[in-house]
Amino acid sequence: MRTGLSSTELPRVLATERRAIADLRYLLRFRAATLSRRRVILLAGLFVVTTLAAIVVPAYLPGAGHPGPGRARDTLILLPTAFAGFQLLSLIAAVASGGGREVVPREQLVAYPVSPTTDHLGALLLAPLNAAWLVQSWALLSAASFGLGPDRFLPASVGVLLWIAVATARAQAVAWAVEGVRRLRHGIGAVRAVAVALGLLAAWLQLTGRLAPLLDNLPTRWFVVGLVDGVNGRWALTLLVGMVMLTTATVVGAVPAHLAAKLAAREENDAESSPHPGRPMPRSDRAMLVRIDRASVWRSVPVRRGLLVLSIGPGVVALAGALTWPQLILLPGLVASGGALLFAVNGWCLDGRGGLWRESLPMQPEVVFAARAWVCAEFLAVASLITVAIGCLRAGVPDLRELTAVVAAFLVVLVQVVAAAMRWSQARPYPVDLRSARATPAPPLAMIAYSSRLAVSTTITSLIFSVLARLGAPEVTVPVAVVMGMWSWLRLRRTGEEWLDARIRARVVTAF
Amino acid sequence: MNQVTPVVEVQGLHVRFGEVEAVAGVDLKAYPGYSTALLGRNGAGKSTTMRVLAAVVPPTEGEVRVGGIDVRRDPLEIKRRVGYCPDVGGLVPRATPWEHLQLAARMRRIPDWERRARELLERFELGAVAHRVTTGFSHGMGRRLSVILAALHEPDVLLLDEPFDGVDPIGVEATMDVIADARARGACVLVSTHLRELAVEACSSVTVLRGGSRVATLTARDMAGEEGARAYRALLD
Repeated sequence: MRTGLSSTELPRVLATERRAIADLRYLLRFRAATLSRRRVILLAGLFVVTTLAAIVVPAYLPGAGHPGPGRARDTLILLPTAFAGFQLLSLIAAVASGGGREVVPREQLVAYPVSPTTDHLGALLLAPLNAAWLVQSWALLSAASFGLGPDRFLPASVGVLLWIAVATARAQAVAWAVEGVRRLRHGIGAVRAVAVALGLLAAWLQLTGRLAPLLDNLPTRWFVVGLVDGVNGRWALTLLVGMVMLTTATVVGAVPAHLAAKLAAREENDAESSPHPGRPMPRSDRAMLVRIDRASVWRSVPVRRGLLVLSIGPGVVALAGALTWPQLILLPGLVASGGALLFAVNGWCLDGRGGLWRESLPMQPEVVFAARAWVCAEFLAVASLITVAIGCLRAGVPDLRELTAVVAAFLVVLVQVVAAAMRWSQARPYPVDLRSARATPAPPLAMIAYSSRLAVSTTITSLIFSVLARLGAPEVTVPVAVVMGMWSWLRLRRTGEEWLDARIRARVVTAF
Repeated sequence: MNQVTPVVEVQGLHVRFGEVEAVAGVDLKAYPGYSTALLGRNGAGKSTTMRVLAAVVPPTEGEVRVGGIDVRRDPLEIKRRVGYCPDVGGLVPRATPWEHLQLAARMRRIPDWERRARELLERFELGAVAHRVTTGFSHGMGRRLSVILAALHEPDVLLLDEPFDGVDPIGVEATMDVIADARARGACVLVSTHLRELAVEACSSVTVLRGGSRVATLTARDMAGEEGARAYRALLD
């Protein structure tokens, strides 16, 4: 029978864990060696400046920290809910990525004794290299600063930063546990059943009017209350509790990481061993290519899992928040950007090393390009449509102005994202196989660059159409959509023309 | 042999990737009904030469003709005539062998391809996994499928880059049969490999590359046995 650690085992375990931390340093150094030093310094500088701006600027905005009724007080009242929201979104991101990102891809480390503790800590360190995480963190810091004003924002910001770290570490620990369960027999079904049950519970709470009282009494309130009155005993206690939570979550998170690592990745193995019976020959070359490309997308575990989270998550949030049509217009851009980050920003990686063989087939390169762009577009369209379909259930029937703006935003953003993704895929092909649930189509820093650029461009586009949904007539919306859509279409076409150059294709297919 | 018009003609081939010169002046001729082995150390330029012949990588300098067609002028026509087994992977990870064969058949307009595809899959003992994605394949299974894909349309020029790498004896035997069949119907076969003994067994002549250039072309008999091993060793140093 197994018992607790003996006095002789404890030093051995501690030595192993110390080695795991040292290994993480080596892996980070290995990863950093592939990066441009200038680019890293630039991005780090940008991160620090933006974080400081997110903390300081809102505290000095008009109305910030005003004690009476107003936006500052409303922001403070909503802060516990925002804290909980950050926790929930961190959790969803960590669970969806099967325990978080990898410092170095699994297939490159398969021959080395890398401890799951190293993997766990690495994933934790990489969590901030994600545009969604950054935007949420900056929003949380800004909300706290605006709510508290110039006199009290600084000590509170320390607490908010600590909460961000706590929430991320806890999400990571839970994600490992969920990944472990998913790797058990019937685990995938169990996790899906729990997810559906939680969704139904949330819907029931919302429909019966119990959600708002629940949000008003969240445990995060205790944490927020400890931060709002400046430096005092309660503030110190809050920070102390936060530190204990952070340490506990970080240390305890290694346990499920070790347990999960001992189990086979069931979902990935199932995907690789399931039979796919042959189908009749398609009628055209393009249809054949689309079929192969579509299979490459939908048979990838991280892509499939990402699509579910990405399309259903924002849709449910929109439903719960009863967003109006002008607000819903922001969703297709958000979802299309996120969808592109699942594979499309490195779209040729779908072929892996098979790209070399495919290139030896007598295929018209323009047909190959068109098929890949089409499959990217249909994937992003499906994701966006699911989100809008869920989100619009409480938005009522749109009038012509709103309907025109939604359709226009959807189409323009789609072309915009596909054009950008195909351009980046061609310019920077990264050799990744998208086999593991934790795989991403590009290294972390490239991902953050892609996500930031997509977020900025699609948000601006969506905001334009959101304004048009409120104010503009369809006669204005349609020409605006045509101009914006044509601009992106021309960029996509230019990328397609470059693809006709055999040297460019050779560079891409030999990169994998 | 030299009375016959060569199917593959390479003169002064150079391939550069930025600062790196992968191929530095290769000359090569290969004839219908014969098989030629490309031997050499890692980085000798064998795979890059094969990629150029498959019209996958364009040459930087030099003349390359396959079946009398300039590789720069009509790469699509060359792709129709060539069957290529790449050196690494060569398979789309989440497509099944059957889907690979279907794609090849569609693009190459092969009539009645299913019968031949099944026959090749059985010959290479891949019939049982024809409908499973190739991600889970072993290296040897992947190599065997790549040979099948190259041979499916019975090409005029069969390019096999490292076809024996990690392949079991049954797979090696099946590959030898494919090479013999191709030669018998008058196709030109080029085999790039590190395995001298298998190259000698499969091919009629051997071209040795070193540092991106051709250093010798010998008959397979000259490269056989202990004597051949010594000769090969001397050419590599």
